[in-house]
Amino acid sequence: MSAVTVDHSTDLRFAGMVASAICGRGMRRIVARPTLIMPVLLMPLIFVVSFTGAFGSLTRVEGYGTDNVFNWMAVYAAMQGAVFAGVGGASTTAEDIENGFFDRLLLTPGSRVPILVGTMAYSALRSTIPTTGVLLVSALGGLRLPGGPLALVTVYVATAGMASAFCLLGLAVVYRFRTMRSMILIQVCGFSLMFLSTGQVPLHFMNGWLHTVARVNPVTNVLRFARQGFLGDLTWSMTWPGLVALGAMVAVAGSLAAHQLRRLAA
Amino acid sequence: MFPLLLAAVYTHQFTRVILLPGFPAVDSFLDFVLPASLVQSVSFGATEAGTELARDIENGFFDRLRASPCMRLPLLLGRLGGAVVVAAVKGVLIIAIFLLFGAEIAGGPAAAVVLVVAAVLLVIAIGGLGQMLAIFTGSQEAVNATFPLVFTSIFMSSAFFPTNLMSGWFREVAEANPVTWIIDPVRRLILEGWSWADVGQALVVPLVISVATVTMAVVALNRKLSSS
Repeated sequence: MSAVTVDHSTDLRFAGMVASAICGRGMRRIVARPTLIMPVLLMPLIFVVSFTGAFGSLTRVEGYGTDNVFNWMAVYAAMQGAVFAGVGGASTTAEDIENGFFDRLLLTPGSRVPILVGTMAYSALRSTIPTTGVLLVSALGGLRLPGGPLALVTVYVATAGMASAFCLLGLAVVYRFRTMRSMILIQVCGFSLMFLSTGQVPLHFMNGWLHTVARVNPVTNVLRFARQGFLGDLTWSMTWPGLVALGAMVAVAGSLAAHQLRRLAA
Repeated sequence: MFPLLLAAVYTHQFTRVILLPGFPAVDSFLDFVLPASLVQSVSFGATEAGTELARDIENGFFDRLRASPCMRLPLLLGRLGGAVVVAAVKGVLIIAIFLLFGAEIAGGPAAAVVLVVAAVLLVIAIGGLGQMLAIFTGSQEAVNATFPLVFTSIFMSSAFFPTNLMSGWFREVAEANPVTWIIDPVRRLILEGWSWADVGQALVVPLVISVATVTMAVVALNRKLSSS
């Protein structure tokens, strides 16, 4: 019995070491080449400045939900940044596949799960950079926190979750097609999902097919969860659907990535 | 596809916005967003002329072209010609799709032609900028870096919202943005009808910019040739 227990704990420790090494390698790459993070940081900053500037008068329409456009758009821009961060994490693997490093990684003994977990953790950690950037710029523009500091926690949880989900989805595609170019598929998918949600206006502003699509889009629930502390107090009824949506997206994308990784390694 | 998706989304999410005091009188946001979609659609592919030139410089093909006994100018204009044809086709398609979904052009078919010509001139302007960068840097990456610039220029203009409903420094930037100077007259041709003043502005602004950027690209090419 004791021998079995020792084996399990050793396996777990080894898996943890592999995952943290992969995550650490990604973060060290950012430190070594800061230009890698620039697009991930710049795009959401452009979004928050453009959307708040261009659509500022949306707050004058009755029922918008806030009189401060930064309180609506900041979360949306941060989520866009998280999608970029997630896809960027998967792109690192595409680069590794193209230059042969990934084949060496697959020669290591043990489970493949830590490879997925490590890359996902790297993406989640990476997403904190655009999220922080967007929140700082929005704070300069007048962002308020009616829900208190917990509002910030929900944004970081939501963006880390979105980055994880899109990283795993990106990995599923990368493991299947083995090229950097395939990442454009996920980029388009992420961009479209964000636009087809309540990113810029509340659900009751929409009509026709967009209303139907946005209502069933899981990103809408994640946005509702992440945005609640910027519009008022945090409530459980706004929280749990967002967490379920995030969990479901990570689970589905994770299953796809694991399946494709098993095929690749076989 | 992305500009069309954006137009479809904005049309269905900004139905209440068109009722705001100060918003131009429109039946649907679709009419308002048509010039934005057109400009966005053609602009996204406009740097391709520069990217291709940079690729040829990177892989040495451009040096072989330079060694051939031919005029230098067509090396630039030929690529821009390709971009112009693609932009014209895109322009016609975008307008046809919008009309199919119920958009109306008050200025009639002649205004639609002006729209396409303005879009083509804008593509020459952006393409010339891309070619100049390609000649200066010889790097595809550097030319591709103009994409965020184009993207930002469109969003920080009157493309998706009228400038009179913006405020602060953003409004000043949007009003000083040449994209606004092109989009506003084009939009008036769509919403209000034919006007020679609007036709003039819609064509002269992108024409001046395209002459400037193509001239700069030609000067850059001549300098490169004389220095090597």
